[in-house]
Amino acid sequence: MTLEYRWVGKPLARRDAYEKASGAAVYSSDLFPENALYVVAVRSGLPHARIKSIDVSEALKHHGVVAVYTHRDIPNNRYGVFVKDRPVLCDDRVRYVGDPVALVAAETREEAEEAAPLVRVDYEPLPAVTDPLKAMGEDSPRIHEGGNICRRTRITYGDVETSFSKADVVVENTYTTAAQIHAYLETEAGISYIDERGRITVVAGGQSPYRDREEICHTLGLPREKVRVITPHVGGAFGGKDEITVQIHLALVTLKTGRPARMVWSREESNIAGVKRHPSIVRMKTAASADGVLLANQTEIIFDTGAYASLGPAVLDVAIENCNGPYRIPNIDIKATLVYTNNMVASAFRGFGSPQVIFAIESQMDQLAERLGLDPLEIRLKNVVRKGDYGVFRNKLEGSVGIDKCLESLRNHPLWRRRGEYKGVQNHEWIRRGVGVAAAVKGYTLGALPDRGSVALELNADGGFTVRASSTEIGQGIIQSLTQLAADLLACSPEKVRVILADTGETPDTSVTSASRQLFLSGNALRIAAEKMLDLMRDVLAKATGDPKTSFRFSDGHAHTMKGEAIPYSAIHSMMAEGGVATYVEGVYEVPRTTPIPGSLEIPHLFYMYGATLALVEVNLLTGFVSVLRVVSAVDAGRVVNRQTFTGQVEGAVAQGIGYALMENPVIENGMMRTLNFSTYLIPSIKDVPEIEVVAVEDGEESGPFGAKGVGEIGIVSVAPAIANALYDAVGVRMLSIPMTPEKVYWLIKHRR
Amino acid sequence: MVNKVKVNLKLNGERFSAEIDPRMLLCDFIRDVAGLTGTHIGCMTGNCGACTVLMNGRTVKSCTILAAQANGSDITTIEGLSKGLELNPIQRAFHKRYAVQCGYCTPGMIITAHYLLSLGKTLSRQEIREHISGNLCRCTGYQNIIDAIEELLRDKGLLR
Repeated sequence: MTLEYRWVGKPLARRDAYEKASGAAVYSSDLFPENALYVVAVRSGLPHARIKSIDVSEALKHHGVVAVYTHRDIPNNRYGVFVKDRPVLCDDRVRYVGDPVALVAAETREEAEEAAPLVRVDYEPLPAVTDPLKAMGEDSPRIHEGGNICRRTRITYGDVETSFSKADVVVENTYTTAAQIHAYLETEAGISYIDERGRITVVAGGQSPYRDREEICHTLGLPREKVRVITPHVGGAFGGKDEITVQIHLALVTLKTGRPARMVWSREESNIAGVKRHPSIVRMKTAASADGVLLANQTEIIFDTGAYASLGPAVLDVAIENCNGPYRIPNIDIKATLVYTNNMVASAFRGFGSPQVIFAIESQMDQLAERLGLDPLEIRLKNVVRKGDYGVFRNKLEGSVGIDKCLESLRNHPLWRRRGEYKGVQNHEWIRRGVGVAAAVKGYTLGALPDRGSVALELNADGGFTVRASSTEIGQGIIQSLTQLAADLLACSPEKVRVILADTGETPDTSVTSASRQLFLSGNALRIAAEKMLDLMRDVLAKATGDPKTSFRFSDGHAHTMKGEAIPYSAIHSMMAEGGVATYVEGVYEVPRTTPIPGSLEIPHLFYMYGATLALVEVNLLTGFVSVLRVVSAVDAGRVVNRQTFTGQVEGAVAQGIGYALMENPVIENGMMRTLNFSTYLIPSIKDVPEIEVVAVEDGEESGPFGAKGVGEIGIVSVAPAIANALYDAVGVRMLSIPMTPEKVYWLIKHRR
Repeated sequence: MVNKVKVNLKLNGERFSAEIDPRMLLCDFIRDVAGLTGTHIGCMTGNCGACTVLMNGRTVKSCTILAAQANGSDITTIEGLSKGLELNPIQRAFHKRYAVQCGYCTPGMIITAHYLLSLGKTLSRQEIREHISGNLCRCTGYQNIIDAIEELLRDKGLLR
């Protein structure tokens, strides 16, 4: 179908921002149902212990307490997307400090919080396994029955050893990255109640209402028809609400008591029991020829998934997929291990395994460039993949590949061209400046995993349309993007488009809101629905006017006939209503995918996001403090649907990347989280984030709706290595671990040769 | 059970009173008792600023004071800035300049911006940063928030 871009690409103000700015927007934590019980989880407080007994009698006697639940109340006490290894309430043992052992439901929050410590759990402490390397040892205490290796794989193409022996330069290092806490401003929260149709209804911050419903049904032994999950506005998610948080606990309380329930995690609880970005150890050996052509890359990846697998197996796949960067490397050898420990549970976080390995490969690239006397940007450009190339897994890159354009745009940027001048500014003798660059890649869509989504579309009596999808609005702007797409697809004004999201009782299954692909997925499903809708409208018009079906043209909310007549959509609705024609269609989009390579779950992807980051930093030689003065982020964006949404996504990702690179330092001692709130776990404030310039490289993706592609995650991926490379440029020290805290930088400078 | 205390205050221009648990924080009073959920809670420790409201014209983080301490005071929340869905100029600037993503920090951020503008001082972009640094945002990277406030100051001829 021929499309006129009238609304796609326009910087229209976000409609959800209006109610958010007014204070009227309602989040899960803003809901206070009448007669609700307040639910508090009793958490283990121990990193590893056997549960000998649980006595709830004292807690039950406490004023206001209505019920206390334990594992005995859960019919199927294990859940998890990839591995069903996680108990709803612990039975035989606890595996990390945040493990829930009991639930207290009381009339008020205070009563529930007072009663929680009265639940007596008799524990036999077990040795805490908190070092992933030790956890991998044969003699390590076992955290799960099957041992501590959650997943292990090796993927090899070509012959790295021969290449190493022939190469002109080989660089080898071990990189470590810390966990990162999502730190969304709204913690995990929700309510539950029985709706007018008798369904246990959970309203909670999440990213996947249908999958959450499956987990509730599975664990509590309920049929799907009896459970409804709604996701209202979410106060930030970034992957941390991809899996179950409060949903099963709330459903259990309402199921057992028949009463509404409310559960809101405190910030401390969120820091302990919420999932994290995987801490990692990445050993990398990279070889190149004298002219800077990459020959081989050998990588060993160890990701600490904490007590439970969560989405770790897929995160590991993405790390495997991206550890070679956006480069053509003929010989690769990847060993990857996902290991259980008694640390916090790690799962999805923007970048999904990519930031850790890109930190490694992009640090390697700068070292290779230096050893060979090459320009860091030129060595990258020399090796980047281009459309139609075969990737490291011998996969043909058929989607759009804009990494060369991203790097070229940075090469032409004044901050790069005149970096010598920028560096030369020295306000104090103890201050040094540096400029660094790094490239990024990450697949979007669920890779080789089956993935399909439905979007429903209805023509309303007023001539407007209602779009229904189970995508969740987590701040990324999906409501606005779908509105603008629908307005163009259906040739009407955006004001005429109503979007209803994320309610298993009201919206079709549009799969999970993750992997930077909800616009791609729901946008394509919407396109199919819109084609059906227009076809339906043509049928009705042809019947009413006698004109041929193909003769109608749609614009501005009207169908135009050959005779020059303009029929408003509202009149078409009347024709449908009178003719008994359904005004509702559904579009289903099956995401194209590849076959997984041997040893993987879901890679390679068919579609990739690309980006590159340029950073100017200032290093204080006396304190080791690194401040970021400027960031330029070039992103291969496909066609931009809403300019402000796009730049906002990238700027937010860059800010999180700065936090990850420099500040965010979760202190976990022997399995105990010590950084419990924003006073000790520092996330970037407005003073830590410099001016960010976002450059859109619009290399259209033919498979995307209007050529759009995913952008949500790519902005974070190469921030840390760009800063590390800038740090090296400034003071000549190579940082191999993040966060690059002042003390680490200080000691590196102190010991530099 | 503890004895209740009575709190009388002015909330968004109207008298409001309730008998409450003396340990209740102002943020809970505003949200749970008065039902004004535009004021959000992010940390309960005064670090994030999501719960910022105006108390007698000055910003306070409403999780750091007891409701009883606010007795007799004049409290303005985000709902007090708009008239229903009719936004005030600051809210409009945040909406128009895309200074909102998930929107959870937005009410506190707008209240702080409102206070900043009420000072009538001439400020630079850097000074805007200083003034707003007590409010955390995890989504936006702050660029559009600064832009929105800068535009408001410029309109008033107060941008340095």
